[in-house]
Amino acid sequence: MVRINFAEAFPEGQKAMYGFARAVHQSGLEDSLIQLVLTRASQINGCAWCLDMHTRDAMKAGEQPIRLHLLHAWREAPLYNERERAALALTESMTLIAESKRVPDDIYNAAAAQFSERELAALMLAIVEINTWNRLAITAEKSPVLA
Amino acid sequence: MTNRIKLYEAFPEGLRAMGGVRTAVDDSGLETSLIELVDARASQINGCAFCLNMHVASALKHGENEMRLLVLPAWRETTWFTERERAALALTEAMTLIADGHVPDAVWEAAAEEFEERDLAALMLAISQINAWNRLQVATEAPPRLE
Repeated sequence: MVRINFAEAFPEGQKAMYGFARAVHQSGLEDSLIQLVLTRASQINGCAWCLDMHTRDAMKAGEQPIRLHLLHAWREAPLYNERERAALALTESMTLIAESKRVPDDIYNAAAAQFSERELAALMLAIVEINTWNRLAITAEKSPVLA
Repeated sequence: MTNRIKLYEAFPEGLRAMGGVRTAVDDSGLETSLIELVDARASQINGCAFCLNMHVASALKHGENEMRLLVLPAWRETTWFTERERAALALTEAMTLIADGHVPDAVWEAAAEEFEERDLAALMLAISQINAWNRLQVATEAPPRLE
């Protein structure tokens, strides 16, 4: 039972969020990486709508299902390159920011080593973008349809 | 002094787009005093010095009572906040710590009772947005602009 239809209740807010999402997706950061980041954050926050949408989008774009399944344990799975690993560590650190109230130097530096400044900024924005969508969808109890 | 990236320099279009979301919230009609309380509370939980400094200063400039800000983490145990503010603060905490327990029905219902749909959606976006800014500023070690 959906609690609220956010887009209907506050269309300017939805429009502004779409503008933000567009800027992130046009940043130059590779789409496959963005999808991994969006999926991982959605796993942590437990957003059904987002998990459904982003895993389907990722697979439609050619992602291997096993790389999505094993995202929960990416550290132990030899399926992700250094760039992806750095991005995933940053995703987890920023998503769970209230726990430590900082992004440790080793995580930041590993990301800074893999990404140009612009890419790193875009990556951070992608992480906060999905954290925003997760919060809106979870709060609204937006539930996906099983395809 | 940090050597972490400055977001505005690294990816100006992205930050401008984030600003667009902030503008939508500010122009939504939701009262400024409430948005400031929400911003302060989320920033306390996420440990963002830059944001906390900025929003405390802004709240005080808009006439907020300093003691309400100082005792804000314990708002439940005071009689200092209106029912509307209490509902917003409870929603702020639940949405900020979204990975922990989502938004319980009681929290949602209290908010839905105090806020009509558009305000409620704007409040959801305000809470999500401060969570976004907190993460960006903590990740880039943005120093608080102390007077």
